[in-house]
Amino acid sequence: MIDSLCDESGEEGVAVAGFYCDFRDQQEQTTANIMGAILKQLVARGGVLGHVQTAFQKAKMELCGRGLRLPDTVQMLKRAVATLHQVFICIDALDECLPKHLLELLESLKEIVRESPRTRIFVTGRPHVEVEVIRYFATGVIVPISPSTHEIKRYLEKKLEMDTARDAMSDDLRADILRIIPERISEM
Amino acid sequence: MTLDIAIALLVAISCIYDQHFGQTTMNCAAYPHSINTGNSNSYNVTNIHNNITNVKKVIADENPEVMRWLSPLDPGRRHQDVRTDRLDGVGNWLLETNEFREWRSSEGGVDRAVLFCYGNPGVGKTFLR
Repeated sequence: MIDSLCDESGEEGVAVAGFYCDFRDQQEQTTANIMGAILKQLVARGGVLGHVQTAFQKAKMELCGRGLRLPDTVQMLKRAVATLHQVFICIDALDECLPKHLLELLESLKEIVRESPRTRIFVTGRPHVEVEVIRYFATGVIVPISPSTHEIKRYLEKKLEMDTARDAMSDDLRADILRIIPERISEM
Repeated sequence: MTLDIAIALLVAISCIYDQHFGQTTMNCAAYPHSINTGNSNSYNVTNIHNNITNVKKVIADENPEVMRWLSPLDPGRRHQDVRTDRLDGVGNWLLETNEFREWRSSEGGVDRAVLFCYGNPGVGKTFLR
């Protein structure tokens, strides 16, 4: 999704930033760090913005190594988003965040959209997080994802082609893989 | 380059730096004054050149530090892995849906700012292109 948006958004002042939530990294993936990672991508695009640089200098002088608090990061991100024509924010696997972080994350995204209404947010997750997403974005666009049998087969064929242990493969096993896996997935 | 021109250049550069980075590295008005009141012989072109180099160095050196301060997380690496594993064309159907187009066009404004794609583990949410 990030790449598709990047390909389409060649225009000046349009930025795409993304983040992949990962349950193995839940402790470090706090809302402040996730929002900071989004901001980093906007900053990396066109150089450190004046207000970010000022805040950094101030934090450095006040107390060495002081970490950023969520409201500070969101404030900086809101200002960075407002300097651009349009920003796309993509966040994958909301269900892999800690529940506390998920709510803060949705709240922060809502704040950004409120201030910069052109902002587009793309989020994915398992079905159970829909309740939380709707809580913050009652009129959001919701699309169920299920791959077509054709796509699954194509993917499996590609993986089998790249198989490094070809000796272990027989025509029967190959046929079973290509039949059973797509069936099971389409039942999901 | 005369000293006057060099000072003017340095002040101009520091002012541009201030405008870009929103902080005052050198007071634009006070800097030439401090040169005049001090021992002007000690300010040669080399000193000024060094000052300019230092200003540039501060900008360059601070960026990674600012980046780390903003967040220790680096989503770029994961994105690269996803790109490598992705099979081209998979998930393209989403880009053709009315829901995606409506969201992408921003016509729905704030009400339609969010596009949420859900599915069970392994259905390919991460690999949507």
